[in-house]
Amino acid sequence: MLGPAALGLALVAGLPLVYTLALALSQSTLGRPLAAWAGLAQFRHLLGDGVFFETLLRTGLYAVPSSLVQLALGLGLALLLQGVRQGRWLRSLILLPLMTPPVLVGVAWKLLLAPAGGLFNGWLLHLGVLSAPLSVLGSDTWALPAVMLADTWQWLPFVVILCLAALQTLPTDVHEAARLEGASELNVFVHISLPQLAPSLLGIFLLREVMALKTFDVVYILTAGGPGRSTTLASYEIWKTGLHNFDIGLAAAQTLLFSLFVGLVTWPVLKALQWVERRTG
Amino acid sequence: MSQFDFLSLHRRRFLTGASALGAAGLLAACGKEPAPAPAAPPAAEAPAGGGKKYAGQSLNLLFNQPHVVAGKLLAQQYEALTGAKITVTPVPYDQLHSQATLDVQSGAHQFDVIDYFYHTLGALVADNVVVDVTDWIERDKAEIEPDDFLPSLYDNYTLRNQRRWGLPYDGDSHVLFYNTEIFARHNLSAPKTWDDYYNAAKLITQKESANGIYGAVVEGFKIPVIVGSSYANRLAGFGGSFFTPDGRPALTSPEAVAAAEELARIVPWALPTPAETAFEHALPAFLSGKAAMIDFWTDLGVTAQNPESSKIVDKWDLVQLPVGGNNKTPRAALNAGFGLAITTGTQKKELAWDFIKWATSKSVALQQDVLPGSGIDPNRTSVLNSPEYGKAAPHLQKEVQAAIGNALAWPLQPQSPKLLDALTEELALIVSGKKKPKAALASAQAAWEQILKA
Repeated sequence: MLGPAALGLALVAGLPLVYTLALALSQSTLGRPLAAWAGLAQFRHLLGDGVFFETLLRTGLYAVPSSLVQLALGLGLALLLQGVRQGRWLRSLILLPLMTPPVLVGVAWKLLLAPAGGLFNGWLLHLGVLSAPLSVLGSDTWALPAVMLADTWQWLPFVVILCLAALQTLPTDVHEAARLEGASELNVFVHISLPQLAPSLLGIFLLREVMALKTFDVVYILTAGGPGRSTTLASYEIWKTGLHNFDIGLAAAQTLLFSLFVGLVTWPVLKALQWVERRTG
Repeated sequence: MSQFDFLSLHRRRFLTGASALGAAGLLAACGKEPAPAPAAPPAAEAPAGGGKKYAGQSLNLLFNQPHVVAGKLLAQQYEALTGAKITVTPVPYDQLHSQATLDVQSGAHQFDVIDYFYHTLGALVADNVVVDVTDWIERDKAEIEPDDFLPSLYDNYTLRNQRRWGLPYDGDSHVLFYNTEIFARHNLSAPKTWDDYYNAAKLITQKESANGIYGAVVEGFKIPVIVGSSYANRLAGFGGSFFTPDGRPALTSPEAVAAAEELARIVPWALPTPAETAFEHALPAFLSGKAAMIDFWTDLGVTAQNPESSKIVDKWDLVQLPVGGNNKTPRAALNAGFGLAITTGTQKKELAWDFIKWATSKSVALQQDVLPGSGIDPNRTSVLNSPEYGKAAPHLQKEVQAAIGNALAWPLQPQSPKLLDALTEELALIVSGKKKPKAALASAQAAWEQILKA
């Protein structure tokens, strides 16, 4: 019975993993994969020079806050939408960014944030907030938050939809009973709704966090990982190594280390999710 | 033994066997020999009796996206001439190399001819992606006239390991375009030196930036063909090179550092912000009259005269790239530049070779070079010097003739993509003001030495 499942798992997960490991332990280029044995040299190089470690750290510092912000905003919007009578139309409108191809999201935000002729600079100059154009994507302070902003604009609707679905699973009788007892809306939300939503919210956060850790498209379009390396996230770094520098062996080693890093970053969330599920039964 | 124990036993045996097979395959792959050398060139076939020579046959071309207009014209004309059906597949320029390599390495063998960046040819040769055409060039030299290819292009675009692997197709180089109307307002003349360029840019920006007009647009976006071209123009102007005559990296030479310092000092006076400026910002700025100068590919001249895309029709001119330091001779930088090659995966080498010979021939090259929007520049001396080209590109002919002779080539080694990536990282730091030019180039030099040693 489990034979086909094992075969499926081997084909989908096992073989690619074994091949990636083989590449990581070898000198491999795009044209000549598995050309020579390299052993652990590539892992030693990555762990030794610090650059890739910084990239992983930067990726984590990007993914966790942006996912938290998106969760908070998403839940807030979902609560608002729940109370709106013509919510169905609004929900369709809110979904538009999610339906936009990622490349267009990057292009649109690049134009919006352009120092010469961009809408953002235009408004701020017109309002007198700025006296000279501000290069958001050219600033190593603001470039990563700008990437987060573009990513949030695109994926917030996804979080909203999931939060809406979670809100709709809440039992109404408990809430009505609490209101009849005189509890305020805030108290009902904090003490009744939130604990019941906790498993769903943690699940949504976990999903968004994993997606954010893999962010590539907005970085590719908006900044190409710059200025300097201030927006170089792990996926972009691996792409550059593998398909720009054609060092497939090193890219495979980076991929394996990145997978371990993703596991490390998501492990606390998984543990929290298990704890909450046990508490809420 | 229960039913489930029996299944477990079978499952364990299966997983053990699959792992063993996988491990055996892995060990075999680790000991894989490199692909065999290409077979001897086929003899030229006699044309088929009656009808067109290659009627019923087809050829797939992997083409650079900006060349798609030229590619489609080639396809139409070659099909009319020979009957062969040509399919042109455009890909973005930054995916040409990887697509060509993956096509061969994966065994898909979808493409017969590729349009390659000349500086990636070393890597394509090392990865056995392209066919050695040296003997075919010798066999067909009366038809090809290899001596007519521009000398600065022929070896750089086709020669690796003392063998030839393609033919030159698009001879890209940069010139300096400037807005004559803005210059006239400030009594400026065309810059001859990088100091002239800097002073003009600074003056115009100081006087007109309040109106959104800047002295120069500098492309410093962190992609090799963008910021790399901006740097190469300055490096050529200062008389520098990427390598010493004996092949060692020369990024810390006085000329190389001076070129980087030139790039850094223009940043405050250029269209905001060089670190973010790529083609899609630079071109509209110049063509709308918002920037007085841009160093760009020669075919910008065609677009600048097209009223549908330009607000500066008849209000622009061009000169050779400025000079700097001790160098007094204008010199082009071979930024981008393409050849046509046959892939090792094709089964139609004869047809592919016939196509490449034809596509890079004098008559076809001239037709491509004078076609508006083609993006193709002269590959042959006779084409560059022809009256027809002079008539189609009057501003360009003289300047390119003067500067192309001693043009600066980009790194040609198999490690070229990595070398350019390392340099691009440091140039981007210079342009964004995060690192001083000398320190940045020292880091790039160290990276290049390590890459070449490995």
